[in-house]
Amino acid sequence: MNYTIHFSQVVEYIPYLIGGAWISLQVAFLAFCGGMVIGLFGAMAKTFGGRMTRMVVDAYVSFITNTPQLVQIYFLYFALPEVGILMNSYQAVLLGMTLNAGGYLTEIQRAGFLSVRQSELEAAETLGMNLMQKVRYVILPHIMKVLFPSLSNLYILMTLGTSMAAIFGLEELTGRALNINAETFRSIEVFSLTALLYIVVTVVASLLLLAVGRVFFRVKGKVF
Amino acid sequence: MKYLSIDQCDAFYGDQKVLECVSLDVDKGDVVSLIGPSGSGKSTLLRVLVGLNQPTSGRILLEGEAIDYKNRRSLKKARERFAIVFQQYNLFQNMTVLKNVTVAPVKIQGRPKKEVEAEAVLLLEKVGLGEKLKSYPDELSGGQQQRVAIARSLALKPEILLLDEVTSALDPELVTEVLDTIRLLAKEGRTMIIVSHEMGFVLEVSSKIAFMDAGRIIEVGEPRKILEQPDTDRAREFMGKILRH
Repeated sequence: MNYTIHFSQVVEYIPYLIGGAWISLQVAFLAFCGGMVIGLFGAMAKTFGGRMTRMVVDAYVSFITNTPQLVQIYFLYFALPEVGILMNSYQAVLLGMTLNAGGYLTEIQRAGFLSVRQSELEAAETLGMNLMQKVRYVILPHIMKVLFPSLSNLYILMTLGTSMAAIFGLEELTGRALNINAETFRSIEVFSLTALLYIVVTVVASLLLLAVGRVFFRVKGKVF
Repeated sequence: MKYLSIDQCDAFYGDQKVLECVSLDVDKGDVVSLIGPSGSGKSTLLRVLVGLNQPTSGRILLEGEAIDYKNRRSLKKARERFAIVFQQYNLFQNMTVLKNVTVAPVKIQGRPKKEVEAEAVLLLEKVGLGEKLKSYPDELSGGQQQRVAIARSLALKPEILLLDEVTSALDPELVTEVLDTIRLLAKEGRTMIIVSHEMGFVLEVSSKIAFMDAGRIIEVGEPRKILEQPDTDRAREFMGKILRH
């Protein structure tokens, strides 16, 4: 054991790593938002849709939840070009993570739909609301409040999950850490710093989520 | 021509017949109370009027015009004229008191927000909740929530107000505040159909009482007559039981 910890060589790369963290955040945020939209329509289809619609959504959800996310993105990145659909690594990762999140969020939001009080829906009905108005004014605010903790967890998991993008050569936080490691061979310093940055990113995200939940959805909760 | 006319209506829950050949006339300004044992179809009749349950046969006529509950437009028109207040208030938990009252007029009827809010504040003051505009339902007592629910239904300017056991879920102390609100509405000449077990109150505000049992209207008439000298044995038996305590 003659490894000397030596951060000075790595310090100059910190802005480069922070830039990578920013890309990770972007991918996670966009994929989560896209997944929420897919999940909302998926949940509506499963709750109110006909037999055929439900079967299609079920097939999609089963595929997403029973195959590894990595394989799903491999499929988009390596298999689709064979049929002429080309994507760069950013697009493939973003699309893959969005579709993956959509599958999980369909199930999560469907559970939320089922937990809406029937009595509130009846009141909405007699006040003259149509289905879209009920979703907009009664169901969504309710499920956002009830599901907020599980949605926050999923969001944090997705932020960390963006590290998978390094495999496809996307230079987000992990990708950039690999680059620095190859250049400096300072593995302990590089990866401990990277881990620290992930912690900073997730803690900041948790705090933001908490604030959003408190202000917009009357969620009571603690970070730690 | 009658203002509201329920004409030989049947209704089912699954296989079970819950309304059987129910007929009832309501004049403008009438306060009609429905009384009778649990499961006799009182609430169902109100739910049929607002289209939460479909009548399987019979007709409901508003000013001579039949409401077609299977037709979206006809149903929408009917719902603009009826408003229902539920036993469990059914307020929107995610909205403030003010939002609960204004959401339907603003978002569904598309009326200007400022005007509706000004009206809503007046309505909430009238039911004694002018101080609670920014509160959420879970911060209010049952009686306060029920008064918000009444204000919410009035905000749509309905012609006929349907009250479904609005005091049954309340503490005895809170019943009074809700009944006072309803008395006020009765005094204003508002047409109402009330399902209630508060016999003293029913006697005081009603212009007409209908006694229901097993999905049928057994007897209709003057409040005092129905409560004190009903013609049918079934009604007499019921009144004897409830007036004893």
